Amino acid sequence: MAAMSFVRWWWGLLLAFALVALVRVFLPLPFANEIIIFSIYTMGCNYLLGRIGLISFGQPAYLAVGAYAAAFYLFYFGNNPYVGILIGIAAGFLVSLAIGPLFVRLRGDYFALVNLALSVIIFYLMQKVLAGITHGDNGLWFLTNLASTPVLDLSRPDQFFIFGFLVAFVIWAFFKYLDDSIFGACCLATKLNEDKVKFLGYSSFNIRLTAFVIANTTTALAGAMYAVYLGFVSPEITSPARAADPVVVTILGGVGTLYGPLVGSIVYTGMKDVLSKVFGNWELVIGFVLVFIMLAGEKGIWGSLQPLLEKMVLRVTGKTAERGGSGQ
Amino acid sequence: MISMQLLTSGVIFGLSLGSIFFLMTIGLSLCFGLMRIISLDQLLYYSVGAYITFSVSALLGNIWLGVLAGAIVAGASALVVERIVFRRIYDRDLPFTMITSFGVLIGGVGVIKYFWGLVPRPVGEPIVARVDILGTDIPVYRLVIVAIAALVYIGIWLFLNRTIIGKAIRAGTEDVEHVEGLGINVYRLFTITFVIAGALSGVAGGLYAPLIMVDPNMGLDVLAFVFMVVIIGGLGSIKGTLISSFLVGQVVSIGSLVYAPLAQMAPFAIMLLILLIKPTGLFGSQMLKR
Repeated sequence: MAAMSFVRWWWGLLLAFALVALVRVFLPLPFANEIIIFSIYTMGCNYLLGRIGLISFGQPAYLAVGAYAAAFYLFYFGNNPYVGILIGIAAGFLVSLAIGPLFVRLRGDYFALVNLALSVIIFYLMQKVLAGITHGDNGLWFLTNLASTPVLDLSRPDQFFIFGFLVAFVIWAFFKYLDDSIFGACCLATKLNEDKVKFLGYSSFNIRLTAFVIANTTTALAGAMYAVYLGFVSPEITSPARAADPVVVTILGGVGTLYGPLVGSIVYTGMKDVLSKVFGNWELVIGFVLVFIMLAGEKGIWGSLQPLLEKMVLRVTGKTAERGGSGQ
Repeated sequence: MISMQLLTSGVIFGLSLGSIFFLMTIGLSLCFGLMRIISLDQLLYYSVGAYITFSVSALLGNIWLGVLAGAIVAGASALVVERIVFRRIYDRDLPFTMITSFGVLIGGVGVIKYFWGLVPRPVGEPIVARVDILGTDIPVYRLVIVAIAALVYIGIWLFLNRTIIGKAIRAGTEDVEHVEGLGINVYRLFTITFVIAGALSGVAGGLYAPLIMVDPNMGLDVLAFVFMVVIIGGLGSIKGTLISSFLVGQVVSIGSLVYAPLAQMAPFAIMLLILLIKPTGLFGSQMLKR
């Protein structure tokens, strides 16, 4: 049976990424790259929100940590984009490890507010306080600094897509692995009933801290990839107006679902591209979409589609076997 | 060292800033206390108040009328949002209401951009007179703001302690179900509280408009400060909100005299410090009923 569910989720994985590859064929490259990076970004938020139940409006803060760490390296010290991304990951890991113990103790509402405050503070830090190093609102431009690397040349968008594709795949498989592990079960249990988790002898603090670090290191990775891909970082990346982006996409896709981030990213990036050209007023659209989704039942696109798809698959294969394993 | 004159004007500046913060956060705090929602859209009513003040004062030439109109329109838009959106989500989790209200805020910013455009608009100062305090030239308008905030605090206090509706709201903060059991329509209480909160945010925006430029993102600009005030004071506590808004006002004002970037960083450091000692803020309660 274990082998069965193994086969099943690999099928789903392959199918989803075949879809992404299809996106690459039919849509322009910048769009595809945006989707890849955004879905990595959202996966971190999805893990926090869907698995551990912590909602954070401060994800741009960690995105900026990764982006600026990579940018500092690429602008001032070196020119290897791979090293830049690794430095971004390390910075995200260290920062979330440093502030995690303070943040995860907080009650849910305080956690959300404090994270948003953090992202605004990092915005000011990068825009004004450290303007000597970050060049303030002008940002750091280092696209020409990027050296071409042997196997996959990250300074070329088409090869960057393949790299991003592989990274997203690995991250996704990693989160899927976490879901099936004891740690994943502990996370879900902490979300549902913290007291009972404590009663079973687990430290809910440690569980939350680990999840927090994992999620935000992922976010920092996305930030570093943004930096390398665009060859440019400015404080805009953590502006308060964009604070809700990952949360919106997570909810748009469906909170806590495996494919949610991917579906959400595709829809969101597509909407942004099309609707902002039509209306020219992005806030209006995204605000109303968000309120509408919240009022319509917060299941999101994938969350609503999933039962239908499962029913279809069951009908096609004619099986009435258990449905666990494939979706959640 | 800072000269005496600079310090005096800094303190007055901090007081007026704290008053604005107080007017803005008291709505958030009331909503949290009674309805257990985090209503980020108060920042929208703040912007609405400021924009209506701008338009009305440009039309009629009287800023006080503008502030009044701003409060009324802000309250009215709060009523509309409450009816359409919040009524449906009162019994949901806190983070849920927070996401929804953030959606309302962002959407509202879009609406403001649609009506008034992206350009920052100036609003003339209603009182240009200056008064001499301790040998320092202080604009009277800033003192008027402090006085208005004090009046609002007294008014809110009287309302909550001396009127039946206010008493019901305070009782609802303790235990909504019991209030409902007494035959009081709590949803009407919710509406009243929400409209009051929105109107107060509108007043804050209208009063602050002459001191800054009115622009679509002004709500998002003060977002961080409002959060820090609410977190330091403790969600749901009016006394905590009062104390922490003046604390943050002073820290921002005096901090910027010492070293400009301190204005933004210092309140954040204080917030982290307080959360380290007491994770629910100065006056927040540990327990969350409901």
